[in-house]
Amino acid sequence: MKNTINLFVLSFTKINKTHLQYALMLLTLLMLVLGAGAPEDVGGIGR
Amino acid sequence: MILLTAVAAGTVAGWGFARWRGIAWQPPIFRATWLVALGFIPQFVAFYSPYTRTALTDELASTSLICSQLMLLFFTFLNLRLPGMPILMLGLGCNLAVILANGGFMPLTIDAASRLVNQAILDSLVIGERISSASKDILLPETRIVLPWLADRFVSPQNMPYRFAFSLGDVFVAAGAFWMLVGERPALSVLNSGDN
Repeated sequence: MKNTINLFVLSFTKINKTHLQYALMLLTLLMLVLGAGAPEDVGGIGR
Repeated sequence: MILLTAVAAGTVAGWGFARWRGIAWQPPIFRATWLVALGFIPQFVAFYSPYTRTALTDELASTSLICSQLMLLFFTFLNLRLPGMPILMLGLGCNLAVILANGGFMPLTIDAASRLVNQAILDSLVIGERISSASKDILLPETRIVLPWLADRFVSPQNMPYRFAFSLGDVFVAAGAFWMLVGERPALSVLNSGDN
């Protein structure tokens, strides 16, 4: 358990500005394409 | 799914291409990212959130879609210098044009719908109505669609496990997003000068 927590803390400290920049860029791009596109899938029909 | 696949494929390809060239992968840096968040909220409320989409009338959902896409169109204009963004903007413009021309929703042709679902489900749909509260589409016969070549009329191949209908605009949006992640970007110093 202690090792797991240590591993988690270590992973968290490795997150830097670049990682956050990547995540923000991906989130922005995902919102953009989801908002710009209008495809229709089988699951959406008649739901 | 076609759109999410384009983003995922573009990320992997962009990262792989940069690695192959021995350089660090630089993600695109957007101007006015807040505008995307602001523009996406109306669509999230009207189509994506199961808690709110059933509460909205069709008129309100349609208005949300149009307002949202106008804001996103302005965002693409502000970021036109990024590779792929002109293609994405063209796709968004195509989708917005056909949505505006057909009463505020994306038309789905009966032919495309019949290739996606069985006859029983097709019979339960009403022509001229939205096909579900989660959908941006209305079902229309091709003869009643204004700008029919921009409608959701293309269907993914039958041998694909995931079936969907899509428009020409969706193809441009997906291609633009992919290219944005793979293509060469202007130097960071130039981009940073105009960042928000």
